[in-house]
This record gives sequence, C-alpha cells and structure tokens, in this order.
Amino acid sequence: MSASSTETPLRLPAKTAFLPGKSIKVTLFYTVLIVAAFIWFIPVITLILTALKDAGDFAVNGTFSLPQSINWSNFSEAWDTGVKNYFFNSVFVTCVKVPAGILLESMAAFALTHMPFKWANRVFLFILIGLIVPIQMTLVPLTLLMNALSLIDTLTGLIILYIGFGIPFGVLVMRGFFRTIPTAVIEAARIDGCSYFRIFFRIALPLAMPAVITLCILDGVATWNEFILAQIFLRSDELRTLPLGLVQFSTQFSTQYDQLAAAVLISVVPVIFVFLFFQRYFVSGMAGAVK
Amino acid sequence: MDAVEAISVTDQISSRSRAPRKTVPSFRWLLPWLFVTPALFIYVVVVVYPMVVSVYLSFFRWDGVAPTKVFVGPQNYVALLSSDPVFWIALTNNAIWLVAALILPTSIGLALALILNSKFRGSRIFRTIFYIPAVLSLAVVGLIWTWMYQPTLGLMNQVLDLFGWKALERNWLGDPQVALYAVIIAAAWNATGLPMLLYLAGLQTVPMELLEAAKVEGAGPVRRFLYVTFPLLRETTLIVLAITAINSLKAYDIVYAMTYGGPANRTQVLGTWMYFQTYNYNTVGGGTAIAVVLFALTLIFAVPYLRLMVRNQ
Repeated sequence: MSASSTETPLRLPAKTAFLPGKSIKVTLFYTVLIVAAFIWFIPVITLILTALKDAGDFAVNGTFSLPQSINWSNFSEAWDTGVKNYFFNSVFVTCVKVPAGILLESMAAFALTHMPFKWANRVFLFILIGLIVPIQMTLVPLTLLMNALSLIDTLTGLIILYIGFGIPFGVLVMRGFFRTIPTAVIEAARIDGCSYFRIFFRIALPLAMPAVITLCILDGVATWNEFILAQIFLRSDELRTLPLGLVQFSTQFSTQYDQLAAAVLISVVPVIFVFLFFQRYFVSGMAGAVK
Repeated sequence: MDAVEAISVTDQISSRSRAPRKTVPSFRWLLPWLFVTPALFIYVVVVVYPMVVSVYLSFFRWDGVAPTKVFVGPQNYVALLSSDPVFWIALTNNAIWLVAALILPTSIGLALALILNSKFRGSRIFRTIFYIPAVLSLAVVGLIWTWMYQPTLGLMNQVLDLFGWKALERNWLGDPQVALYAVIIAAAWNATGLPMLLYLAGLQTVPMELLEAAKVEGAGPVRRFLYVTFPLLRETTLIVLAITAINSLKAYDIVYAMTYGGPANRTQVLGTWMYFQTYNYNTVGGGTAIAVVLFALTLIFAVPYLRLMVRNQ
C-alpha cells in the first residue's frame, strides 16, 4: 500500500526498484514540484515583499527583492486610513449573516428531509434554481426594492441580500447531511412525544455539526469575499466591506502600492488562517457539497 | 359499577383524544411549511421575484428614475444585437473566457490532483499552496495581479527585463491586444483550486484494485490514466466543467478591479457591460436585456448540471 502510493507520483515502472535511480527520481520529483509551487505562489510572495518594504526601497531594489529592513508601518498606516473600518464591517456582516443563514437553511432542509411534506421535492428543485442565477439578473429590481424599503446603504440590507443568495447552497449542503440521519432516529423521538421543533434543535442540529461547521467556513469565506452586492448597495465610505474598500482604496491611492499590499494582506490573512485551521472540514465539505 | 365507570372514563378519554385527532391532521400539513417558509420567503424576495421583474423590465425603455416606462417589446434585444458593438465585444470576450476556463483551470487542476493524490512527505503543504488562491476574493486577486502587471514596478516586466526580453515588455492591462488575456490568467489562478479539490475527491472513488490489475496486465501510467482513472472520473469531469463554465460567465469582480472594462471597452464582459449600461448610462431596459442574455447562456451549462445533481440525490 505505502509502496504503491509512493510509486504513483514517481511514475516508476515496477522494474526499476534499485535505490540510486529511485533517489534521483525522488529528487527530480520534488525539485519540479517545489519550482511549480514557487511559481504558483509568486503573486502572494510579491504581495508580502511589497507590504514589508518602504517606498524608497522599491525605487532602488525593484519589486522582487528582499526588503532592506522589515517595515511594519505600511500595515498601521493602511489600518488607520480606513482598512480598520472595512475590516470591522466585514466582521460584522459575516458574523451576523452566517449563523442567521445557517439557521434558516437547516430548518428548511430539515423539513425537506424528515417531515411529512408532500411538496418537498418541488420546493427543493425551486430552491436549487438559485444556484445558477447570475446576480446581474436581480440587480435592478433589488435596487428598486431596497430603495422602497430604505435599506440601500445599510449593512442590514446587505445582510438580508446575502442571506437570500446563500439559501440555495446552504439548503443543498444541509439537506445532503440530514438525509444521512436515519428516519428511525426521528421516528423514535416522535413516538416519545417529541415535537418537531425539539427534534430539530435537540437531535437533528447537534447531529449535523460537521455539516454546520463546513457551511460556516464556506459561507464565511464567501461572505467575507463578496464584492458585487456590496458595491451596488453600499454607498458611504464608512460602511464599505473589505473587498469593496480595497478596490476603492486602490483607485484613490493608486501609487501607494506598499500600503495597498499591506491592506490586501490584512484582508487575506483571516481567510487563510480559517482555511488552514479547518482544512480537513473544508476539503471534505466542499467536495461533498457539489457532489 | 366500577366497570361501568371505567368504561365511561375510557370513553371520555377516547372521545377526548378523538376530538383533537380530527383537527390535528388538518393542520399537520402546515408544520413543514413553518420550517420552510422563513428561508423560502427571503429566497423568493431576494432572488426569484427580482429575476422575474428583470425579464419584465427588459421589454421597456426606462432610465430607472422617470415615473413612466415605455413598453417597446423586444426592441432592447434587437438594439443590443444590431447596434451595440460593445455587446458583441463582451459576448466574444465571454466566449474566449469560457474556452480558456474550460481548458486552463480544469487541466491544471486535474494534473495537480493526480500528482498530489498520493501521500508523500509534504503532500499536504503542496495541496495547501496550490489551493490558497482559490479562497481569495476575486477582487483581491484582481488587485494582486494588477500589481504584478504594473508597467514599471510590476513583476512581469521586471522578470522580462532580467532575461533581457525587453521587446516583450508591455503595459499588460493597458494594451488592448493582451489586456483580456492578462485578466483571464489572473482569474485562472483563482479558479484552479476548485477543480483540483473536486478531482482529489473523485480520485478517492477510483478503486485501487483496478489500477493494480491494470498494472499487472502491463499498462503503464499513461494508459492506466487514459483507460482506468479518467473514465471513472467522468462524473467529476462533468461537474467540474459545468461549474467552471457557470463561474466563467459570472466574471465581474476581477474585471472591475483590474481594468474597469477598459482600455476602450476591450475587456468588457456581459456581467460588467450590464452594470455600466444600467448604473452609468441609466438604460435600465438595455441592462436587464443583457442580464437575461447572460442568464440564458448560463442555462446551457446549468440545466445539465442541475439534472445531474438531482439524479444523484
């Protein structure tokens, strides 16, 4: 097993199992992979190097050189120029949207899987349509609607939109998980006189924790990264979320690449941190969700 | 006496329990709706209702502000097709983008998945490195690559300088010949992670015994891939192609962040052109018509995808 799994990446024919040839191939394999990974990661490396340099360092040494001295001031300056505001707006929107969305999505998914519901399939199909709708298809009527409700240029309005657009994917993921809970479990609780509300909150939702965590991460990252709705429905600078704020920042301070790079890094670090921390859930959940 | 009392008591109990039993079934059908309605309501208000209204608005001439809309029938669509050159640029760009997206991220993702599927020292680190661009916001990816393409300080031109290929240096995002491709490369960098992930998941379902058997029969790695692994990944491939196609048609953020549709509208796609029509030029009818065209194009890839998903359920 282990032998064959080390062989697969090396494309080793079974005959050439003697050691010297193997070690050359291993070295070659790693060299190629490391070079490829390095090239792949160059944009991120450039970003980090840029953020750590001061303006004078650029002019003298160019972009792709190690900084003369590590310079953290770009981060504090970017933070004070408005990134702080954008950051906390993003945190607020994400922290409200994700739990609220998951609650609604899992309630709906529970009804679609474990309640006597004649319309379950039709409702599910109807919700699935939302997965493929281009956002442009909704922008104009939403603008009119949000205007009428005076929700334009409010984070509340944006959160409501995010919840609405998140429902198809959330229902898909939660439904997929709830289907794996045996009906017998739910029925036993019914016979014991448990109401559906209690079953949902006390049995189904706790059992679905892996799915909830997966969805938290996927949804959290998607919300943190969202651009177009924020761009259309937020007007004032102090309400901007990070992606929107950064793009505006780049047009306003188009020459201060060092500060922009620092600002971009500030927005990226939480996502990468969450990803690294929950990588296991992330990979299995993402793959399970689309299958 | 006791017995009679007992009977009457049981009668009472049963009649009591019978009475609600008659009313409960008539409300039972409501119960699932209680659970579904909150989600369904927001979904309908935010996604479905606006979709329908967009189709409706695409048949009117309207600036988005005036109290009256003028019904013009299919004229907005006719105008797009006959007298809007930028619409055709956008449509062509979407087509180029689609083809590039179906080739680049998918094949790179498959290659990475095949290499990183086996567990060797450091394979998880490599998976992480190759996946990280996929968790970044497209707007942020746009900003990062704008910096890479920057004419004087950007990495692209500096590297070309280093190798002495001065002739190849250019203003990547300002040159109408290459700007679109520059943006597509940046988008592909972000779009490769998902196919890689899906193929990694798909490879878990390829039985080891089959590959071993093929090996015993004398099939080399290339033939093992062509005749065993890849046919077994058929469904994964369909999902990957559908999602990549749908995502490529959604292109908006990265174009907005990198070129704003320029130079001279050369990098417009339907997503951005809809935005400019509606919000910058106030032609709501034309804008919604573009959105409807975009949605129709999406359906070509989305319908098979949704059918596949429903069949798998």
